[in-house]
Amino acid sequence: MSQPPDPRLIAIRNLAAVLDGRSLDAVLPASTAALPEQQRTLARELSYGLCRWYRQLHAVVAARLKKPLRSKDRDIHLLMLLGVYQLMHTRVPPHAAVSTAVDLTHQLGRAWAGKLVNGVLRAVQRELANEHSALHAQLAGDLSIRYAQPKWFVRAMHKAWPARDEAIRAALQQRAPMTLRLNMRRQQRAGYLAGLARQGIAAEGLASVPDAVVLGEPRPVAKLPGFAEGLVSVQDAGAQLAARLLDVRKGQRILDACAAPGGKTGHILELADDLDVTAMDVDEARLSRVQENLERLGLPATLYAGDAAQPPRAWREQGFDRILVDAPCSATGVMRRHPDVRLLRRHEDIAALAARQARILDALWACLRPAGKLLYATCSLMPQENEQQMHQFLQRQPDARSIELPDTWGHDREVGRQTLPGEMTMDGFYYALLEKVDG
Amino acid sequence: MATLDILHFPDPRLRNKAKPVTQVDDRVRRLIDDMFETMYQAPGIGLAAIQVNTSLRVVTIDISEEKDQPLALVNPEILERDGVEEMSEGCLSVPGIYEKVKRADHIRFRALDRNGEPFEQEAEGLLAVCVQHEIDHLDGKLFVDHLSSLKRQRIRKKLEKEARQAAPAPAGTVI
Repeated sequence: MSQPPDPRLIAIRNLAAVLDGRSLDAVLPASTAALPEQQRTLARELSYGLCRWYRQLHAVVAARLKKPLRSKDRDIHLLMLLGVYQLMHTRVPPHAAVSTAVDLTHQLGRAWAGKLVNGVLRAVQRELANEHSALHAQLAGDLSIRYAQPKWFVRAMHKAWPARDEAIRAALQQRAPMTLRLNMRRQQRAGYLAGLARQGIAAEGLASVPDAVVLGEPRPVAKLPGFAEGLVSVQDAGAQLAARLLDVRKGQRILDACAAPGGKTGHILELADDLDVTAMDVDEARLSRVQENLERLGLPATLYAGDAAQPPRAWREQGFDRILVDAPCSATGVMRRHPDVRLLRRHEDIAALAARQARILDALWACLRPAGKLLYATCSLMPQENEQQMHQFLQRQPDARSIELPDTWGHDREVGRQTLPGEMTMDGFYYALLEKVDG
Repeated sequence: MATLDILHFPDPRLRNKAKPVTQVDDRVRRLIDDMFETMYQAPGIGLAAIQVNTSLRVVTIDISEEKDQPLALVNPEILERDGVEEMSEGCLSVPGIYEKVKRADHIRFRALDRNGEPFEQEAEGLLAVCVQHEIDHLDGKLFVDHLSSLKRQRIRKKLEKEARQAAPAPAGTVI
């Protein structure tokens, strides 16, 4: 077996896969599995960083090439992006960033490109040091280059959040913190925090999210006290709001309609006894992740593979007391955690996603018992998928009433509330809670 | 010690089934030493005798970062396997190609050491994958056999083309 490739080469291969339409989650684990831990961390970090900054790196390189590279020299182009990434967004000393990229042309068997890579990277290095350079003008002149986010997204945020769009853009370029959810049935937060402190792991609890502990820096789950035993799960604080908003009570019949990978399903089950929970997902393979998660937590649910827009007839007859619709969405609110979203998502997707969400909502509303509650959730920042979706739903369904949500987090919308990325450590989530009343 | 030439896919000699070693003697120990030297120089983390055109059930492995944990296996056999691990693998006989392969992520195997002493060992993760990869070689199998035939054809064409061009620079693009 050959030595695993240099982590930098793995990272540019992963970027190429994302540009070809694959998700980082699909390619990252296997691509780095053969690496020792330190190199694996580097390959991961670079893969994420290259996706996060791709638009900017691409624009910076394109403006400094006299003519575009041939498509068969894509690896050389990606190598330049890697070099620029290291120059602009890491603490790697500039000379090391440049010489590593040049060395890698040899490893790729493309030694001829060494001079070209060197020239482009040296130019970038020079321009970075001079604040009057063309490079700085390029960054200042175009928000979608400065923040490496699609133009349609920059425009949409400006329209939806005119006073906060700058902060949203900046937050989405940050790395997401690692947040844990404690299983409150099995321990108290103060005790768990004290345990982490004894092990020298920096962490703190979040005031307005009772189960959340934010780690000072990410670490492998295998090294978290109590993870294997189901005492803790990894889940963003914004995502942790869902299960408590659903207001579950002992003995209720509950549907988690788009459950995979099962983070929220597990949380629901932790919050009350004797629950009859059905976890549904359209993707059978991902449903096995729900199974693994629940096994780790030692909590039971019925798994059901199927399309939430076409629930079985029996569900309409029996009805559920609570339904969580964590709808398939643009994932624009979690771009900092899934940086490939900005490369995979197209503006045209939004309308199609909103139409699908509406179909799912209508179908599942019929499965909700009278006086039952449905929580609609997305990890999107797009109004079409969030408050506008809810506005239209309330007009279509006369027996639906929106319940006010606590104001200890997020921002009030026409219907529901929105968390914005970076605020209170959270990703961007939208929540609306609906109750079925006498129509 | 000497470095040996490594056969490249699709060389038909890589398809031979290796014969068990009947006696671990100085000749076999010299083969092991040469294989380690060849493997470290490549650089690789595992090598089967078949790859250096010797049809014997001999494998050398070292997955450590410092290259200080050599493991020689004579007549290795897998006794148990469980779990699934998907890892991007490369092979010294298929230079420059890395593809995802699914294998057991935990195995127990037995073999003779360089002194002919039998031993049993458990392995997981990279070591488990590497042992399975090398034992495949002894049975005339390559990691590309675990891929779709379309992918295998593409790799074969690519390597044949590179062999024709016989470029002095190390061939193989990663992308």
